[in-house]
Amino acid sequence: MKRRQSMITAALSTLALVAGLGASTLTHAQSTTLRVFSGSGGSQRPDLMRKLYDQFQAKNPGVTVEVELGGATSELQRQYLSTVLNAKDPSIDIYLIDIVNPAQYYGARWLEPLDAYLGKPADVMKPYLPVYATSNVIDGKIAAMPGFADAMFMYYRKDLLDKHGVKEPATWDELAAAAAKVQKAEGNPNLQGLSIQGAPIEGAVCTFLLPYWSQGKEFNDAGGKLTLDKPAAVKGLKQWLAMVDQGVIKKNVAEVKTGDTVNEFKAGQVLFAINWGFAWDRFKDDPDSTVKGKVGVMPLPTTAGGRGATCVGGWQWAVSAFSRNKAIAAKLVQHLSSPEASKFLAAEGSLLPTYQSVYTDPDVVKAVPWFKNAAEVVVAGRSRPQSKDYGQVSDVIRTTTSAVLARTKTPEEGAAEIESRLTRVMR
Amino acid sequence: MSTHQEHPVAGTTTWDRLRDPSEKTLGVMLLAPAFLLLALIVVYPIGKLIWNSFFDLRLSGGGEARFVGLENYALVLRDADFWNAAGNTVLIVLITVPAALVVGMGLALLANLPFKRQWPVRLALLLPWALPLAFAGLIFAWFFHSEHGVVNDVLRRLGGNEPQMWLLRPNWAFAAICLTIVWKTSSFMALILLAGLQMIPKSLYEAAEVDGATKWQQFWQITIPMLMPSIIVALIFRTITALQTFDIPYTMTKGGPGNSTETLAMLIHKTTIDYLDVGYGSTLAVCMFVLSLLVTGFYLKHIGKNA
Repeated sequence: MKRRQSMITAALSTLALVAGLGASTLTHAQSTTLRVFSGSGGSQRPDLMRKLYDQFQAKNPGVTVEVELGGATSELQRQYLSTVLNAKDPSIDIYLIDIVNPAQYYGARWLEPLDAYLGKPADVMKPYLPVYATSNVIDGKIAAMPGFADAMFMYYRKDLLDKHGVKEPATWDELAAAAAKVQKAEGNPNLQGLSIQGAPIEGAVCTFLLPYWSQGKEFNDAGGKLTLDKPAAVKGLKQWLAMVDQGVIKKNVAEVKTGDTVNEFKAGQVLFAINWGFAWDRFKDDPDSTVKGKVGVMPLPTTAGGRGATCVGGWQWAVSAFSRNKAIAAKLVQHLSSPEASKFLAAEGSLLPTYQSVYTDPDVVKAVPWFKNAAEVVVAGRSRPQSKDYGQVSDVIRTTTSAVLARTKTPEEGAAEIESRLTRVMR
Repeated sequence: MSTHQEHPVAGTTTWDRLRDPSEKTLGVMLLAPAFLLLALIVVYPIGKLIWNSFFDLRLSGGGEARFVGLENYALVLRDADFWNAAGNTVLIVLITVPAALVVGMGLALLANLPFKRQWPVRLALLLPWALPLAFAGLIFAWFFHSEHGVVNDVLRRLGGNEPQMWLLRPNWAFAAICLTIVWKTSSFMALILLAGLQMIPKSLYEAAEVDGATKWQQFWQITIPMLMPSIIVALIFRTITALQTFDIPYTMTKGGPGNSTETLAMLIHKTTIDYLDVGYGSTLAVCMFVLSLLVTGFYLKHIGKNA
């Protein structure tokens, strides 16, 4: 008897539980939950993004923004997103994607064009820096909205250049000579003249493009067709190898990743370093940085007769084509890509603005004085090739560049391989 | 046999037949759920893979599939990347499978010695096996790092002056990967062989002892023949996993420098996930599937004779 009673109790409580769950689902359905994906890397500042989501939630009652973090590097995020989006997964509404991805994702029909929600591309994109305005408009449609900018900068040890009476070099040759001079005078075998990224990571695409662009050459035309100047590509790669032979760049450069450059510069082992904008904060603020207050930033050197150009990065907000809440997601994207958000990210996290006007905003300049000089570097920045097959373009360039820097291929073989493999893809 | 009666006789309606099925029907009924599950998770994906391999299906082009027949297969035959990856994969099989067998045999014989405490040896055997492949790859990549790696540190202490860049030289990188795979997989071999060793009756050795056989003769005349079934099982498993090698080279070199250490599984992953070329990626996967079938068939044919 007792047993039967307890069974009935159990059955009733199960029923109540099911009913309760049903009710909570019902109340849940009246509000909207947006799920946002962004990288877990420190450079994407999930903590500050959360504050922006909270602002949006406060202005839009009934909307909850959930966050999914993943992948510390651009390649890892791309691999994860390829899987999720290929499965047409509707669970994520908004993605924070690398500047090289809008063309590829829009081409694969993974992104919702935002024209219907935000307006005509020409009007919407007007206030942004040109490179972001063009990179996010694919086939005449808004594929994504600029979140924050980034670019490759040339960092240097101001204290060491001053100590040895060396001026900021304007060309690559001057840089190599300056580095060799300081290295010799310091007599420290662990001091690297220049640190670049040679491992087969996304940064190595820029390692290939920087000396190539600085000769005034184009990698692709406006239509995305490959316009590789092979002799210039060979010259660019040879320039890095010559610096390795001189001892300016270290021998195992083909192992160096973005984080290695940052850590070695922080440890005081590097004179010049090419790295993304987030590194500035690491040098300045990290407790283990030995170079606080000794760091300068300058434009990238040119090749004699060419013009300096840096590699532009940065992150964009995009609405998934499989989202079930596209209109409200577009509204959040609008908030995240607004001048106010850009100013907030700049002042609080020194993330580079995508608006020209924010660079000169008094509050921002006060918080991050070096942004005044950063603007010209970013404006002069160039975008890596926009291609629907960017995954392949990137893989070919970074793998080949790394192999040349490891000296398993000659620069001539490397340039020929890039040309033969990409001619088929970039047409 | 009519089912139109008002009160049907037991065993004539469908319902009654289901309640009291014949042996054959019962067999089908009991097998059906397992078969359906298997069809869903094995047959359907393989079928879909083969189907996709006949299409030009590139997600970067918007994802429309265009039937191209055997064109993808013709491309594979002319694809230098495929032959490079296939060559590397076969080389990894040829090097690491025998090496892991020899090392695993040594470990198994060691673990089978009458130690007072057996668990430390067994634990040492189990640990590499329990470690995820990617971790093993990352750990060994760190060992072989040209600046911070323990390998170069030891060499420097022994008097070498120029640090070797192990993972940036194609042959050294390949050797480092093979070494890691052998380290990682020998313990699996050893576990299977150890189980086999413990099945061999002690009396055989005692009899051999009485007849005056040396330890060496005992090993070749008793241990090896008695162990043959275990050896073959271990070889089949190891060969199939070696054909699928992905994690260790991916974490150690990412296929580099260039694509000199790229395996077939890595090429398939790159083509599908990075290049978003599902059609050609499927074709490559079918080729790898055929290669695995050939190797398994070879083993099965020869086991039939030997065991």
